Amino acid sequence: MTESARLSISNLDKAFAAPVLIGVNLTIARGEVHAIVGENGAGKSTLVNILAGNLQKDDGEISLDGNIYEPQGPRDSYAAGIACAAQELSSIETLSVAENISLRALPKKKFVIDIIDEGALNAKALKLMQRVGLQNIDPTSSTEALSLADRQLLEIAKAISFDCQLLILDEPTAALTTPQADHLHSIVADLAAAGTSIIYISHRLDDVLAVADNVSVLRDGELVVTTSTKQTSVPDLVGEMTGRNQTTATERRDRVSDAGVVLDVTDLTTGDLPHAINLTLKSGEIVGLAGLAGAGRSELLSALFGLVPLTGGTVRRMNNGAEHAVLNAGQAVRNGIAYLGEDRQSMGLFPGQSLLTNMMVPGSVDTKTLQYIDKKRERADGARFVEKLSIRCNNLAQDIRQLSGGNQQKALIARWLHRDSDILLLDEPTRGVDVGTKNAIYDLLIRLRQKGKTIVMASSEIDELTTVCDRILVLSDRKLVRSFERSDFSEQDILAAAFSEFTASVDNQSTSTSRVASPQR
Amino acid sequence: MNIWHSIRRHAEDNFILASLILLILFFGFSSDNFFSVITLTTILNQLPALTVVTVGMTLVLIVAGIDLSVGSVMGFCAAVVGVAAVAWGLPLWMAFLMGLGTGLICGAVNGLLVAYLSLPSFIVTLGMLEMARGLAYMTTGSQTTYIGSQIQSLALPLPGIGVSAALIFAIVLVIAAQLVLTKTVLGRYLVAIGTNEQAARMSGIDPRPYRLMVLAVSGALAGIAGIFNAAYLGSADPNAGIGLELSAIAAAVIGGTSLMGGRGSIIGAFAGVLIIAVLQNGLAQIGVSEPTKRLITGAVIIIAVLIDRWRAKHASAS
Repeated sequence: MTESARLSISNLDKAFAAPVLIGVNLTIARGEVHAIVGENGAGKSTLVNILAGNLQKDDGEISLDGNIYEPQGPRDSYAAGIACAAQELSSIETLSVAENISLRALPKKKFVIDIIDEGALNAKALKLMQRVGLQNIDPTSSTEALSLADRQLLEIAKAISFDCQLLILDEPTAALTTPQADHLHSIVADLAAAGTSIIYISHRLDDVLAVADNVSVLRDGELVVTTSTKQTSVPDLVGEMTGRNQTTATERRDRVSDAGVVLDVTDLTTGDLPHAINLTLKSGEIVGLAGLAGAGRSELLSALFGLVPLTGGTVRRMNNGAEHAVLNAGQAVRNGIAYLGEDRQSMGLFPGQSLLTNMMVPGSVDTKTLQYIDKKRERADGARFVEKLSIRCNNLAQDIRQLSGGNQQKALIARWLHRDSDILLLDEPTRGVDVGTKNAIYDLLIRLRQKGKTIVMASSEIDELTTVCDRILVLSDRKLVRSFERSDFSEQDILAAAFSEFTASVDNQSTSTSRVASPQR
Repeated sequence: MNIWHSIRRHAEDNFILASLILLILFFGFSSDNFFSVITLTTILNQLPALTVVTVGMTLVLIVAGIDLSVGSVMGFCAAVVGVAAVAWGLPLWMAFLMGLGTGLICGAVNGLLVAYLSLPSFIVTLGMLEMARGLAYMTTGSQTTYIGSQIQSLALPLPGIGVSAALIFAIVLVIAAQLVLTKTVLGRYLVAIGTNEQAARMSGIDPRPYRLMVLAVSGALAGIAGIFNAAYLGSADPNAGIGLELSAIAAAVIGGTSLMGGRGSIIGAFAGVLIIAVLQNGLAQIGVSEPTKRLITGAVIIIAVLIDRWRAKHASAS
C-alpha cells in the first residue's frame, strides 16, 4: 500500500488582474525537502500565500495527507499542521522574543483567571532558540533590538514552535551569514529525517541543490519542470527560469553618438550600498538596473535622487556645461531629475485629489512658491498629456483613485514630463500594469529616449529590460557587478550575474564567513 | 420646475451656505428678537477672534497636523498686550506688536519641534496648550488687567460702515487665505503634503519648512486673536480662549476640512464659524438652556461630518 503524499496540488489556478498561477501540479512526499525556484514575479509567493491561507485559490485542488485542504485563513493552515516562515519578517517589535515565538499558543496557567505562564513561555522559547542558534539572546528581551539575521532565525523558531507536518521556508537565508545558513540547513535535514515535509524557496541556487531532494521551477505562473536535485545544475535551473519567448522589440532609432554626459556618479556609497558605485549617464539612453529583490536597485535610484544621505562619493549633474552636486530631492528636481518610486500608492499618488492636480504637483520648471497657478494653462497642459500618453479617464477632475494602475502610472510620468525633466529615474515602472499598458509605457520610454531624455529603470523583469534598454547594469548583493551593452544582452547571462554575489560566496566559504553583511537597522 | 432644479443644484454645491441660511431663517421666524441689530452685533462681535484662529487651524489641518494650543496662546498674547500697555505703559501699537510676536514665537516653537524633530503635532501643541496658559497666568498674576476704552475702538463698529475693524481684518484674512490655498503653488504644496507626505517628498517638495510655516502662522493668528479679544473685553483676561481650539476644529470640520489632511476650505471654515455663532445665539434667543445648547451644538458637528462623508461618497459614485 503506498501512503498518500503529504501535499498534493493539482491544476491550481490563481489570477489577480492577470493570471499568476496557471495549472500548477505539485506533489511532495513525507520527509521530502522540495525547493521552488523562479524569477521575481514567477508566482512563488502567491503559491506560499495560498498554502498559508492568506489567499484563496481560484481553481484546482489541494490535499494534505489525502484530505482536501481549503484554508479560509491562516488559522486553518496552522490547524492543518502547516508552518510558514515568511519572507517578510512578521515579528511584533514591542513583544519579547519568547512572546513572539509562542504568540499563537501562549502557555497559560490558572490564577483567578487564566494568565500567561511566563516560566513555561520562556523555557519553551529557550529550547527553540537553542535549536535555531539564538542561544545568546535573552528570551525576555524585546524583539526591537534584534538584528535582521536574528529576526530571520526568530521567524524560523516561530515556524517550528509546534509540531508541523509541512514547513514552508520562503527565502530563509536572505539575511543570514554562511555559518548561520549552514546551521539552518542542518535543522532542515533533521526535520525532514523526522518526517516533516519542507518547501524551500530561495534565490540561492547552490543552497537549493545542497539542501533539497527535488526542485520545481516556476516561470510566469507555470510550473515548467520538477526534477531531482541530483540531475540538475545551477545553469540548467537558470535556463529553465528564463526560457521564455522574447517579446518583439519596439522599433528604435540609433543613438546619437556624441551624446553628452548628464549625470556622473563617482564612488557613491550610502548606508544601504556599502560598495562604491561608479556610473555615467548620457542623454538619449535607457539604462536598466537588474538584480534580485534586495540587490540594491531601489536603494541606488533613491540615492541618485538625493532621498538618502550619501556616506561617500558624489552625484554630479551636468547641464549645458554647468555642473551641480545633487544633495537632496529638491535640488534633484530643480536640476531636471525625476523619480518614480516602486510603490505607486505610497510614494507617488495623492489619493483623493484630481487627476489634474496629481499631474501638476511639482509645477512646471519656473514655479515660485507664492505664485498664482494659471489654471487655464494647467488644464490645457493636462489635456495635452492625457492625449499624448492616452490616459484613460472621464475628465481631468476625476479622482486619481478611480483610474487603473497603468493610467495612474502614466499620470505620474506626466507629472515629470510637465516639469520637463531630463533624467527619469523609474523604479518598477510597469509593476501591477496590464500587458497592453506595459507596451504603451515601453513605447513612451523609447519615444522619450529619441527626444534625448535619459531614463534609468529598475525592474525585476529581465525581458522588460532587454526590450527597452540600451544598457543594463546588474546589481548583486548591493554591489554593481556587471554592465551589458545591448549587443550582448542575454537573459541567462544577466540572471547569472544577478546571482553571482550570492553563489560566489559559497565557493569561498572557507575564506569568507559572512556572505551578506546584513543591514543592521 | 427648471428653477427648482437650479436651486437644488446650487444648494448641493453650497451645502454649508444653504444650511447657514436655513438656520438664520429658522431662528428669525421662531424668535422675535433674532433679526434685531443687537443680536447681529452680538454675533459679529464674537466672530473676529474665532475666525482668525480657525483660518490658522484649517491650514494646520490641511497638512495633516493639529494645533491644540491656539486657545492658550491667544490667552497668553492677550495677557502680554494688557501688561505691555498697562504695567509697562507702552503705546498700544507696540503692545499689539508684542502680542503678535508672542503668538508667532509660540507657533514657531511648535513648528520647529513638529517639523524638524518629527514630534507629533498633537503632543507638541498639547504641551504648548499647558505652557502658554501657565505663562498667561504668570504674566497677569492671574488677574484680569483692565486696559482702557482706547483699545476697545478696535472691536467697535466703525462709523458709517457698521462693522468693527477687527471683523474687516478677519474677513480680508479669510479671502486672502482662501486665495493662497486654492490659487497658488504654496496652497497646492500644502494639500500635497497633507494628502501624501512621502509622495510630496519624492516630488522634490521638502515638507518641513511648510509644516513649520503653518504652525507659526497659526500661532501668529492666535496672537492677533488675543489682541482682538483684549479689544473686545477692554481688558486682558488670562482665562481668555479656554476651549477655543475645539471651537476652531469644529468650525473647520463643519466647513468640510478633513482631520486626515489634504482637504479643506477656508471659506467653508468661515461658514462653519458663522454656523456655530448663529446656533449659539439663536438657541439662546429661543430660550434653550445652556446644557441643551451644548447637546445640540455637539450633535450638529457630528451630523455635519456625516453629511459631508455621504456627499463625498455620492459625488465619487456619480
